[in-house]
Amino acid sequence: MRENMNISVNGQSRVPPGFRFHPTEEELLQYYLRKKVANRKIDLDVIFEVDLNRLEPWDIQERCKIGSTPQNEWYFFSHKDKKYPTGTRTNRATVAGFWKATGRDKVIYSDGKRVGMRKTLVFYKGRAPHGLKSDWIMHEYRLDDTTHSNNDTHVANAMNGEINITQEEGWVVCRIFKKKNLPKSLGSFINTSSSTLTSMLGSPSDHNHDHDHHDQGALEQIFQSMGGKPQKNNMIINTISSFHVDKFMQLPSLESPTIPTEDDVALMPRSGPDPNPVYNLDPGLTDWTALDRFVATHLSGQDTTEIMGYRSIFSPSSSTVHHHHDEIIQLPPLRSPPSTSSENKVYQSCGTLDSSHGGIGNEIIDLWSFTRSSSSSPSLGVDPLCHVSNVGL
Amino acid sequence: MADDNGDNLPPGFRFYPTDEELVVHFLHRKSDLLPFHPDVIPDLDVLPYNPWELQGKAMSEGSKWYYYSRRMQSRVTDSGYWKPMGMDEPIISSSSKKVVGLKRYFVFHIGEPPSGAWTGWIMHEYRLPDSGSSSRSGSKKKGHPKLDYEKWVICKVYKQQNDDDDGDDGTQLSCLDEVFLSMDDLDEISLPS
Repeated sequence: MRENMNISVNGQSRVPPGFRFHPTEEELLQYYLRKKVANRKIDLDVIFEVDLNRLEPWDIQERCKIGSTPQNEWYFFSHKDKKYPTGTRTNRATVAGFWKATGRDKVIYSDGKRVGMRKTLVFYKGRAPHGLKSDWIMHEYRLDDTTHSNNDTHVANAMNGEINITQEEGWVVCRIFKKKNLPKSLGSFINTSSSTLTSMLGSPSDHNHDHDHHDQGALEQIFQSMGGKPQKNNMIINTISSFHVDKFMQLPSLESPTIPTEDDVALMPRSGPDPNPVYNLDPGLTDWTALDRFVATHLSGQDTTEIMGYRSIFSPSSSTVHHHHDEIIQLPPLRSPPSTSSENKVYQSCGTLDSSHGGIGNEIIDLWSFTRSSSSSPSLGVDPLCHVSNVGL
Repeated sequence: MADDNGDNLPPGFRFYPTDEELVVHFLHRKSDLLPFHPDVIPDLDVLPYNPWELQGKAMSEGSKWYYYSRRMQSRVTDSGYWKPMGMDEPIISSSSKKVVGLKRYFVFHIGEPPSGAWTGWIMHEYRLPDSGSSSRSGSKKKGHPKLDYEKWVICKVYKQQNDDDDGDDGTQLSCLDEVFLSMDDLDEISLPS
């Protein structure tokens, strides 16, 4: 055994350039945590003890520096002794927030044998249950209780998600890091170079550049262009999109149909003439197809029909309006004359539109002809994607 | 891992140099013929290897291979060629904020240029900034791009990971963890009934 070394001698790091502490889970458990538990010396003092209740993640970052090299992961030992007064759960609250476990514990194997467990925790700022989720993640590794030799019980417990109380105390070794908010498949590439990514995906066309900004606010734009502030349904969509906005935004821009020109676009339902009648239906349609797919896969039943109520506005033929009578009623108020009954609103606003932009009536028909073919079909209410095939191709 | 790499470092230490370290600690000193330690990156400037032949020849760590090569070293092997991708990326010193090196990306293609087939093998080529001398002036302007065969570069080669098999032990969340995380959100937001 080598003698005990300090990580830095006279301020000089003992870690040679280019080397980082990046242990495997097996090394963490089998080497470092086992030595810690057995109170044995560790050659190089790289993992410090940390009182999790006293240090915020960003303080741990300072405390657990190894040498002078830049790090994006930090390691420490922690002793789990504090419990919440109400039960057996470990108290991992700090002054600024708390660590909350997520998911299920993962079994760590070494040479095919189970040696420990890993718990994943997320740091929330504030106090439960109103904490604000941060990007700080902790992996907490604990050794299996070695006094239990019955491996089968351990496995069974793990399978059932049960927690063996005896394993929930004592020393654990932890790694904290900041979650990367990048699509996983592309993450490595974006990390290294965005220019590479661009070149790998092929040079983007002007079209994509033009509509880049629409990816962000596609939903908002659609709602805005509808001239109303939908309350309930808007909330549903916003709620969902806030979960899935990452995935949603990863969708490549679809080639949008060239049918609607700017004049056509001006034909969005409005209650009066607009001095600046450009509504960008074109990119809206592109994102709309994506949205429909998204909606179809994530919603069902009631929610789907509610959202379809919006879509029917985009195919404002009379048959559609009547066909979707029920759904239209659920629409939030549009900016239309207040005297009309709810079921006439869409109709009315379209009519107003017709008169205010009467000079381009031919294009109205052109624009709507492709939707009518599908919207008048009785199957529309059943198949939420039916217009995708018409529009998207 | 060879013994002289880690200088008796305990378990868990690995060669994961930052771009800056590669350029400053390894490339600059190599070019200036200064002694440096640890001397872990080998010279492979004699003939171009296919990426899968690097094992055992280049310094390997964590499915990445490091070696010195020459700037004008042929990038064509008996099986394919390294095709440059994108643009040079400057390596900025974290202390002086000056450009200390440049990084360029290559993707290995199997077959004859230009019709080779894309592979998942990626190379980062680190070189010193183009300037009249090999001084570390850090000027951003390209002077006269000297086609200097003698100039050393460092190559880092790796195979792009598949989505599912990349490490769960690193500083990333697994797909499953990401799902659990987003489900945590669901707990806290009640959908309107």
